[in-house]
Amino acid sequence: MKFSTKQILKLLYILSWIIFVGVCIEAGGSIFSAFYTLVINPINAATFWAGNDLSALYKYDPGHFFGETLLISIASVMKACIFYLVIKILHDKKLNMSQPFSSEVRLFIIKVSCLTFGIAFFTEWGVKYTEWLVRQGVKMPDTQHLRLGGADVWLFMSVTLFVIAQIFKRGIEIQTENELTV
Amino acid sequence: MPIIVNLDVMMAKRKMSLNELSEKVDLTLANLSILKTGKAKAVRFSTLEAICKALGCQPGDILEYKKEE
Repeated sequence: MKFSTKQILKLLYILSWIIFVGVCIEAGGSIFSAFYTLVINPINAATFWAGNDLSALYKYDPGHFFGETLLISIASVMKACIFYLVIKILHDKKLNMSQPFSSEVRLFIIKVSCLTFGIAFFTEWGVKYTEWLVRQGVKMPDTQHLRLGGADVWLFMSVTLFVIAQIFKRGIEIQTENELTV
Repeated sequence: MPIIVNLDVMMAKRKMSLNELSEKVDLTLANLSILKTGKAKAVRFSTLEAICKALGCQPGDILEYKKEE
């Protein structure tokens, strides 16, 4: 069975929507959980978003609790932003397969590259921060469970996308030249 | 660009319209317009050959080099 590009893009569009909803719930959940713990009920720290027990951290210092949850929330929001951009470009039908090199697609790649770099930066910061807190004697959940793992992968993705954006720049030039050849 | 396309001059000399030339050289009006207005980045030899054949001229009559000041 052979799939056409249009079918693959449609499938990616549906998949992106599902992932976007998932990462939005995750981002919203962690932000709400942090807000609820800090403002309304500190007991909620024991059942932080995704079942992570951050009560030891809250007891150690609410300021550090705020810092840790802020890093988790920033990374989650950035993940949601990436999928928003993916949905937007697929929805606006900016991907023209007959002339794939366009400034819109290049801008999209650069934006995603910057966002992935941001995720890499904040997750790495989160991991280092968690390690520092553990050294201070605070019992912390695993960084994977805190959604702070994989900073190296995000960084690799960011660099790869940046290289692709540079290739696109040359591709746009070649495509324009080809269009203006009679 | 220092390369000047004198296609409009040659067309006027031969009293040939863009539509007529387009039919003779088998090029779209849009592409001929790109060439005529000097927006073209490159010209294929086959296109040049067809235009020269249709207008009965030499490539030098269509293309001219002018040093940029």
